[in-house]
Amino acid sequence: MKLTVLKMSVAGIALAAATGAAWADKANDTLRLAFTKELENVDSYFNSSREGVVLQRAVWDGLIYRDPVTNEYKGNLATAWEWIDDTTIEFKLREGVKFHDGSDFTADDVVFTVNYVADEANGVKTQRNVNWMKSAEKVDDYTVRIMLKEKFPAAIEFLSGPVSIYPSDYYAEAGPEGMGLKPVGTGPYKVVDVTPGQHFVLEKYEGYHDSPKGQPTIGKVDIRTIPDVNTQIAELFSGTLDMIWQVPSDQSEKLEQMGQFTVANESTMRVGYLAMDAAGRSGEGPFTDVRVRQAVNHAINREELVEALLKGKSQVISTPCFPSQFGCDVDAAVSYDYDPEKAKALLAEAGYPDGFTTDFYAYRDREYAEAISSYLNAVGIQTNFKMLQYSALRELNMKGETPISFQTWGSYSVNDASAMVSQFFKHGSLDDARDDETLGYLDIADSSTDPEVRKENYAKAIERITEEAYWAPMFSYNTNYVYTNEVAYTPTADEVLRFTTMTWN
Amino acid sequence: MADVTSHDRLLDEITGPTPGQMLRKRVFGHQGLLIGLVVLLLLTLVAIFAPWLAPHDPYAQSLMTRMEPPVFMGGSWDHPLGTDHLGRDYLSRLIYGARVSLLIGAVAALISGVIGTAMGVAAGYFGGKVDTVVTFLINVRLAMPVVLVALAVVAILGGSLEVVIVVLGLLLWDRFAVVMRASTMQVRRREYVAAAQVIGASTPRILLSEIMPNIANNLIVVVTLEMAHAILLEAALSFLGLGVQPPTPSWGLMVSEGKNMMLFEPWLVLIPGAVLFVLVLAINLMGDGLRDVTAPENRS
Repeated sequence: MKLTVLKMSVAGIALAAATGAAWADKANDTLRLAFTKELENVDSYFNSSREGVVLQRAVWDGLIYRDPVTNEYKGNLATAWEWIDDTTIEFKLREGVKFHDGSDFTADDVVFTVNYVADEANGVKTQRNVNWMKSAEKVDDYTVRIMLKEKFPAAIEFLSGPVSIYPSDYYAEAGPEGMGLKPVGTGPYKVVDVTPGQHFVLEKYEGYHDSPKGQPTIGKVDIRTIPDVNTQIAELFSGTLDMIWQVPSDQSEKLEQMGQFTVANESTMRVGYLAMDAAGRSGEGPFTDVRVRQAVNHAINREELVEALLKGKSQVISTPCFPSQFGCDVDAAVSYDYDPEKAKALLAEAGYPDGFTTDFYAYRDREYAEAISSYLNAVGIQTNFKMLQYSALRELNMKGETPISFQTWGSYSVNDASAMVSQFFKHGSLDDARDDETLGYLDIADSSTDPEVRKENYAKAIERITEEAYWAPMFSYNTNYVYTNEVAYTPTADEVLRFTTMTWN
Repeated sequence: MADVTSHDRLLDEITGPTPGQMLRKRVFGHQGLLIGLVVLLLLTLVAIFAPWLAPHDPYAQSLMTRMEPPVFMGGSWDHPLGTDHLGRDYLSRLIYGARVSLLIGAVAALISGVIGTAMGVAAGYFGGKVDTVVTFLINVRLAMPVVLVALAVVAILGGSLEVVIVVLGLLLWDRFAVVMRASTMQVRRREYVAAAQVIGASTPRILLSEIMPNIANNLIVVVTLEMAHAILLEAALSFLGLGVQPPTPSWGLMVSEGKNMMLFEPWLVLIPGAVLFVLVLAINLMGDGLRDVTAPENRS
């Protein structure tokens, strides 16, 4: 009771403060949006969150752009590209592009950015995004070559996603820290204010080049960090926010019923799964037995989770990747139907007729995590429920101290299976399976340039992973976008908010 | 006849009601105490007989029937108080939650009561160096914010029923120590203590049969205060996700789990919140009442 009152008054104070602070809307050409999470750093190479991807796509450009609807690759900062050999790509760069600080975009910027991020010593947060590049060299002012460490067919996909080009002179001087506080890019929006913990203000970049991203129309975007969903909804009601996203399905349903807001639902590439310590990194636990892992797979009612909890455009997933990704062969995966009796039988066979108790870790979606642990409890796997922050769980994970954990992975919206399977099953610090056979298939699939060979080997890897039940893949996520009727926007399936496609009604 | 009545009246005047009768009269004349006792007794019975009273298994999840409204908001009698975000019966969870709250309140108050009373009585009776040490410890303890320390300890050790009970028990002894010390200092100067010392009673005997009975009324008040305090702290810790871990039903946890839907389904928060409020109120009423009826000044 006391807590409720406290909570409501906190929300009230936040509301009052917000109302006083920034009153802007369509009349002021300012779109007000909320982020739930705080960014570690706005510099897109030094954060690993979805919010970071949204800002990255608004503030910076890549050499290539993938149309989110047709999946067609289009030139962005590059106008043409060509594979010189298996490990060299040559790019013709767009001329006349200027960074937000007024400097010209040339081959030097590409060379500097690639060489900087590819160097492991510089500590880019998600190495998978950049560690396939060896270096870049300038051919002339508007021609550049990127050299790969080895064959990497997904290069074009990564270049159209997480790899964005930074201004060389500015970045050499400011570094990730300076870039995080005063970002400079070539993107459709320039950053005019970064106040960590409070808000980011983006402003339409008037000199934006003729990019496939489209030209920005909304003048300003004010993004505030509001961790609590109820506060976000309250602000939407009171008119101090125009758009919220990642709204839980229950609340979205209620908001839709009210009729005042547009509620759009889109699927995302994010897959929710249980990772199990098959290699016994946390000690010779029960999950080293394949029958226990299969029992876990049988214990979970994926259909019910999707239908009753996730709703919207979520799907049941049985692969360790998202089905739209290249190489993610759904037919190759062994799928486990919901069968608690079979799960109990498998546990008994493995020597746990009365089940066992294990630590169960999760970092987001407490509700889903509780539902999942409840399924496990029902077949006799008792769980010590532990909810941690993402970074804390990731650290434990890397040290191999989590017997079973509820994880999710959004693949940075990279539409290639390597962004997920190869991220987790190549004996990296997050690999709890450490299976050599899987590694063998993935090595071939990741480095072959023949699409058929790639497909075949990803399929083999997926078959092996699901047969051995290293994970229990469960469902894909969806995102609800809720906005006032003044805003026109059609979300895309990759969980990236694109400000250039937003307009006022 | 007239003789008999006057005789009876005379007898009454001479003997008066027995102490037991007077106590009974005071107890039944004290409304707050009665209400507190009845509510607490009811909740205790509910907690003890939870398996027979709960209409459903409090852990049985049914995602297809999530967040059904309580019967007074248009729900069905199958789930009188509706279902929670995982389709578990709200009434059953509430009933089992009473066990958690009462257990934590009682055991935490017991642990801290033993620690605090021992320290307080020792300090008050012996004075001198013992008093200096105890006062120092009390000051150290008072300098630590309970919620922060509890949060930190639980974060390190991981949340569970046992950890929460022990942490709260080891943290909430300060008021016991302060009150018992002050009360003992008052009582030990009394003539009957001096008399006991003169006739050569041992120190433990003096403490137990001369001091304790005369400070018991203060002790009872502190016990109830701390019990209520512990129950609220458990709710707060569970609300923050650091107390009792799911799927164990706890009222604080229920408030926390319902808070996401607070705007649209306020009953998810209001029901456990209201029950928590009633329990804490009942304990406080009982404590106040017990103090009133047992206070020495009310005995004559």
